[in-house]
Amino acid sequence: MGPLLPNELISNNTNFLLAFIIGIGFGFVLEASGFSSSRKLAGVFYGYDTVVLKVFFTGAIVAMLGMLFFSLFGWMDLNLVYINPTFLTSVILGGVIMGAGFIMGGFCPGTSVCAAAIGKIDAMFFIIGLFIGIFIFTEGYPIWEHIYKAKFLGFPKLNELIGISQGFFALLLIIAAFAMFWLGEKAEKAFPREEY
Amino acid sequence: MNPRLILAAFIITLGLIIAAVPENTTKQYKLTANQLLDEIKSDMQFISTDEVADMIINKDPSIQLIDVRSPDQFEKFSLPNAINIPLVSILSDEWTDVLDQDVKMNIFYSNGTLDANEAWMITRQLGYENNYVLQGGLNYWAETIMNPKAPKSTSPDDEFAKYDFRKGASAALGGATVSNTGNTSKKSTKPKIKRKKKKKRAAGGC
Repeated sequence: MGPLLPNELISNNTNFLLAFIIGIGFGFVLEASGFSSSRKLAGVFYGYDTVVLKVFFTGAIVAMLGMLFFSLFGWMDLNLVYINPTFLTSVILGGVIMGAGFIMGGFCPGTSVCAAAIGKIDAMFFIIGLFIGIFIFTEGYPIWEHIYKAKFLGFPKLNELIGISQGFFALLLIIAAFAMFWLGEKAEKAFPREEY
Repeated sequence: MNPRLILAAFIITLGLIIAAVPENTTKQYKLTANQLLDEIKSDMQFISTDEVADMIINKDPSIQLIDVRSPDQFEKFSLPNAINIPLVSILSDEWTDVLDQDVKMNIFYSNGTLDANEAWMITRQLGYENNYVLQGGLNYWAETIMNPKAPKSTSPDDEFAKYDFRKGASAALGGATVSNTGNTSKKSTKPKIKRKKKKKRAAGGC
């Protein structure tokens, strides 16, 4: 049956409509979790608020379990699900740049739009910065193309790299997530802040 | 009890289940039984031996002949530029690139049509396009292309045209019969003989 688009069960336009609805849902959850506050987002780096970690990791493990069970029931062919190609150098570099921007600006790309939508001026400036970054990257693409495309690893899955089944890897990830939640809450108690 | 702990216990239970069950590795069929039946009824998957012979002689780059018989049978005889994918290994990942593409026209053949048709059905159900079956298989190929029989003198012109083509193809593909090679050793003399036959036929018709 699934995934819906590669199996041509829905048209491209329906796909965009679904993406639009899911996008609004995503924004709603971001705002409802308080992600439009840059202080809350930056909190994960200082340990006084780890709600970002908890929300995103919960989302990840729920989606992971959903896909694995859909595959188990024969509702979805996991081989047809798009996996991002891995370019190791750009992943590391991008992670560092993204992390630096996150800690300085207090937003990640999604939450900045969310916060701008409720009128946060710092978020609007963040978005301007985002577009400046996009502009520099695209205009200077020939300069960093070789870095961008360096160390292409194909479409690896973590569980295949380690050599364990995907179900067992899922269980390990769930346990790791809960361990991080527990640590996060310990950190919240250890580095409390009155008002942010 | 803390609702967060209940939720955590629920997710861990699901994780334990997913870790314990084997992965679902079955390939999904993309066509329903009815869709496949419609395609089978229309016989759209068949390519005639004449069409294939024509494409081989013209060195049509868009065809890929696929021999689904066993490797030793493939060794003994195969069509020009055919590759061997035994029916038993049709699902192996090694051949996915060959079978699932939209550039070339894959033509399955076996001795008869049975094995080739089975290969076609499996690949079609997986949603692969551009796979076809050589009509009648190698047996019919031998009968029509390798050893074409002269039509009766009362046959329509089409039959003679087809026969001419088949004789030419037979010579080009190295399948000429003893009588053919006895009569004519050069290609150029053959068409002359054919044309005479045509004239005869025309005279009788009038």
